[in-house]
Amino acid sequence: MNFQHTDDRRMLADSLNRFVAEQYGFETRDRIAKSPQGCSPELWRQFADLGVIGALFGEDDGGFAGGGFDIAVVFEALGRGLVVEPFLPTVLAGSAIAHAGNPAQKALLAEIIGGTRIAAFAHGEPDAQHEFNQVQTRAKRVGAQWQLDGVKAVVQHGEQADVFVLSARSAGAVDDEAGISLFLVPAGTPGLTLRGYPTIDGGRAAELTLAGVTLGADALLGAEGAGAATIEHSVGKGVLALCAESVGAMDVAKDATLDYLRTRKQFGVPIGSFQALQHRMADLLVEIEQARSAVINAAAAIDAERVIRERALSAAKVTIGRVGPLVAEECIQLHGGIGMTWELPLPHYAKRLVMIDHQLGDEDHHLARFIALGRAN
Amino acid sequence: MKILVPVKRVVDYNVKVRVKADGTGVDTANVKMSMNPFDEIAVEEAVRLKEKGAVSEVVVVSCGVAQCQETLRTAMAIGADRAILVECADELQPLAVAKLLKALADNEQPQLVILGKQAIDDDCNQTGQMLAALTGWPQATFASKVEVADGSATVTREVDGGLETLKVKLPAVITTDLRLNEPRYVTLPNIMKAKKKPLEVIKPADLGVDVIPRLKTLKVSEPPKRGAGIKVPDVATLVDKLKNEAKVI
Repeated sequence: MNFQHTDDRRMLADSLNRFVAEQYGFETRDRIAKSPQGCSPELWRQFADLGVIGALFGEDDGGFAGGGFDIAVVFEALGRGLVVEPFLPTVLAGSAIAHAGNPAQKALLAEIIGGTRIAAFAHGEPDAQHEFNQVQTRAKRVGAQWQLDGVKAVVQHGEQADVFVLSARSAGAVDDEAGISLFLVPAGTPGLTLRGYPTIDGGRAAELTLAGVTLGADALLGAEGAGAATIEHSVGKGVLALCAESVGAMDVAKDATLDYLRTRKQFGVPIGSFQALQHRMADLLVEIEQARSAVINAAAAIDAERVIRERALSAAKVTIGRVGPLVAEECIQLHGGIGMTWELPLPHYAKRLVMIDHQLGDEDHHLARFIALGRAN
Repeated sequence: MKILVPVKRVVDYNVKVRVKADGTGVDTANVKMSMNPFDEIAVEEAVRLKEKGAVSEVVVVSCGVAQCQETLRTAMAIGADRAILVECADELQPLAVAKLLKALADNEQPQLVILGKQAIDDDCNQTGQMLAALTGWPQATFASKVEVADGSATVTREVDGGLETLKVKLPAVITTDLRLNEPRYVTLPNIMKAKKKPLEVIKPADLGVDVIPRLKTLKVSEPPKRGAGIKVPDVATLVDKLKNEAKVI
């Protein structure tokens, strides 16, 4: 198996890594993460100019690439710089539009890829945990229109979004797979209110409340009641993106720790010369390589048939969910007290690594899903 | 007007190189390779001249192994129009490269050759000067500013104690210094366009050039490890040590 990236991806990775290192350094990232917007419109435009947003979508949808390895290359570089721009919402919402949208709705992708409009994915709900079919928000037909009522939780970059891909139940019980419909909801639609807040790992999210939100028939994304398949498709790409981001962040945390072990002296020698610490670093390296392999496996399976694809994605998320927090904890332990100081980038990486486990299904959820998918097969 | 930009594939500047155990050279197995940073500046300058309208075509050339095609694709993603690879698996020394470039200059008839002042692997700083000698063209090395107009190039050079400005008649050879420009970020749309640009592969024999090395590397070794510093009690002792031990004053 050839693990070398194609020339295109190698060049994209080189260019993006250089851009992130030079333009999105730790201090810049920290300032953006703490800003009222939680992202930088100027840098977002520059990412768009580089073609990084376009790399997440296929040529048929107006992008430049869109394959599993393209998503992985981009997010690994973003993870290295802890970039807080709305890339994940773009993958989730954009993939849903590309998967289920009609030609008029897909026209929105050009603006998303161009960086002039931001789309967010409003699917999670306060009581849903990680169950993606659990949707309580209701959509009912009122004449030729739709009326939506309900609450959406932790919508990443919700305040900055121009449009939401939002799920609502048009039929069936609360956790039925059938009966979930997707809608394109423009920001500022009457009846839609937002409560924004900073997230623990940088950036911002929002709670959405829908009270009698009225939409035209053209707001329906895909077939009525058939949104579950599109959600699975989008979440799959989002899971891959998160896993690749995690590997990028792990690499940086590991390299910083290795550097520290070579620099910090105790008893007149670098602490990296102690065998006990060498063993811990060696174990960490093996775990990170295991996680990297899981991401490669998931990226290669992104276009495979459903069970193979979803099992590979869940397997990757389980591995990332186990290894990410392990890397975070070990790196802080090996640093000692300084590893907990805000002035050092490491604890910011650690927070992100821990939080990635809780996004789009945690380790326990994906382990159970991996087993269930295997049994169903 | 045509510009020829030679580029070299070298170990990436972020990589900490290691000397081979037998001391015959640097270990490049499984090491990330990139375009020589000074050459990247040269490509950027050529593309800027084209964007200003002073130049009609930018041709990039690399001499070396087949993988140099990656480097040439990167140069075309920056904005070069076409590429030539002089493929050669054997070691190429600066004189051999200069001879190959001279042969290519004869074929292509560029008005300007812009290349990095040196490669970061061997640090030779010879190819540009040798090429100027072989072609008989004027040279302006270590350029920090380049302006092309009316059949000549005005080049500002960084020299000890200030800046020196030269005017050279075209055709000429210019070598680039670090502060000439900051290369742009390669964009994905341009990476895609670069795939469709022409890349010609030729052999040294096609140019009638003998590339047999003239120099023999006797030994390559790691630089000596820096010794621990010492504290001195007063200025007099410091001056004494600088004079009599370090012998620097």
